[in-house]
Amino acid sequence: MVVGLREFALRTGDGSPALDESSGEELMHVQPSVAVALGDRSVESPGTLYITSRKLIWLSDADVAKGYAVDFLSISLHAVSRDPQTYSSPCIYTQIEVVEDEDEEDEDEEESNGVLDLSKIREMRLVPSDSTQLDTLFDVFCECAELNPEPIEEEGEEENGHNWVFSADQMVVGGGGEEDAEWQISQSPTSVIGHSNGDESIAQPMLELQINDQRFDDAEEMVHENETKDH
Amino acid sequence: MLFFSYFKDLVGQEVTVELKNDLAIRGTLHSVDQYLNIKLENTRVVDQDKFPHMLSVRNCFIRGSVVRYVQLPPDGVDVDLLHDAARREARGA
Repeated sequence: MVVGLREFALRTGDGSPALDESSGEELMHVQPSVAVALGDRSVESPGTLYITSRKLIWLSDADVAKGYAVDFLSISLHAVSRDPQTYSSPCIYTQIEVVEDEDEEDEDEEESNGVLDLSKIREMRLVPSDSTQLDTLFDVFCECAELNPEPIEEEGEEENGHNWVFSADQMVVGGGGEEDAEWQISQSPTSVIGHSNGDESIAQPMLELQINDQRFDDAEEMVHENETKDH
Repeated sequence: MLFFSYFKDLVGQEVTVELKNDLAIRGTLHSVDQYLNIKLENTRVVDQDKFPHMLSVRNCFIRGSVVRYVQLPPDGVDVDLLHDAARREARGA
């Protein structure tokens, strides 16, 4: 899957775009006489808009080598834009998801050395010469967006539900009632460090270590073995 | 499906949708689908200077995957109900 806008020039004999029929891509709508404006650039025309079940394709009528395509997966937002003061002609306004480049200093830089980088285009306007078609185009865009949900890598999205929602009881690792026992620290001087869960054989070596091993004695004082220590 | 059902109940209310590109759009929730794609009506952009191109837009369709937050009207949320429903959903009920 390609993120963002890209060039597209694959045409069939009748001038329509070549589709990926093996993946089930179908043509949903054709709108002739549509101009396209990328980013802040001026409008390009004349052209024909092809809406497939997977992507938008605009092919220039004048230049057979010129065309653009963007997957619906990359179209973040689309809307009908009608205010003549903001933009001269009513159009479909779209925002395109772009691969974020961390090295880029100027985010608006679409052209370097005069060559337009299509993958950095964030906004695109489609201006049909027949503006009564705008609502139809908007509806087709909605339909196609719904046909292209985010791909799911793991299986059973509906079975597992959202794995980001969980309750407090699910936070316990290796849960159960024994947790409290681990945290009890007995105050008895002959007790072991920690607490064995009923298995007293484990307790013995620890007891001996505490009482007999002089490595744990304080350096300055010679403390007798039987004296109470707080370890 | 929890939030799909939840948003369906909110249709007709004013919400603000904040996208992952920082654009925030306020409008009336017209509809939502299972992917949480959102259609808003009577939209206006919260920070108009940053996104002048959206000024002429009144209705829009927002892809669910680009939504960062949906800001809800405070009296449009029954927090306890939502909390319980989320807990039940987490348990797989």
